[in-house]
Amino acid sequence: MLLKRVVAREGEQVEFRAGRLYVNGKEIEEPYVRFPCNWSLPTRGVEKDCVYVVGDNRSMPIEGHHFGQTSKSRIIGAPLW
Amino acid sequence: MKIKYLLVGVVMVIIGIVLAATVFPSEEKRVKKRFYLLSEWVSKSPEESALIMLQKMKDIGTLFLEPCELRSPNEFLSGSYTRQEISAYAGTARSHFSQLNLKLYDLHVDFPEKEVAKVNLTARLIGRSKTGERVDEIRELDCLLKKMDRKWFFSQIEVIEVLKK
Repeated sequence: MLLKRVVAREGEQVEFRAGRLYVNGKEIEEPYVRFPCNWSLPTRGVEKDCVYVVGDNRSMPIEGHHFGQTSKSRIIGAPLW
Repeated sequence: MKIKYLLVGVVMVIIGIVLAATVFPSEEKRVKKRFYLLSEWVSKSPEESALIMLQKMKDIGTLFLEPCELRSPNEFLSGSYTRQEISAYAGTARSHFSQLNLKLYDLHVDFPEKEVAKVNLTARLIGRSKTGERVDEIRELDCLLKKMDRKWFFSQIEVIEVLKK
């Protein structure tokens, strides 16, 4: 089981520029990210019935982090606090 | 007196059911047994001798149908493999590790048609390479097994891409 944050929904465009997250071209404030990163990821669209998830711990290189688009049907719960 | 006979009867029926379940396991248990064997033979202890290593290499191949298809998001791994190739690749991969432990979780077994089993599971490979590097990889797998001569064999293994970057 993976615990990840949903950062974008179907139809939205996601990208990382110099470690900052952009959704539909707009920079997202992410106060929950403790360790800065320098990730870069070209823009990609979130497909139908999918969400885009990323973890809050981004201290590792982008290749070593499990994140990306997944089907909504895989979501089994949400944190209680 | 009648209650005594009744109790003995009930106990005998329970023993019979337990014995039948042990001697004649369900198809689901037979399928799961193949996964437990795979887990046992892939796993490696630091003290494993060369003889046991060779035997395990040979044993791993016997679990697969010929050819067995592997589908993976890493295209260079995808393809059809013979038993001999599977044994050889498993042996080469194992030789890079001093310790390996393959753990399997959440096995869901379905029988979409006669003598075909479809199994969805989570596999976790934990180990240490000979250079001291720690490995901890988790993958979701969809497996297809076919029954031949009353035994189940892996005929297709697909690595599911849960998160697509």
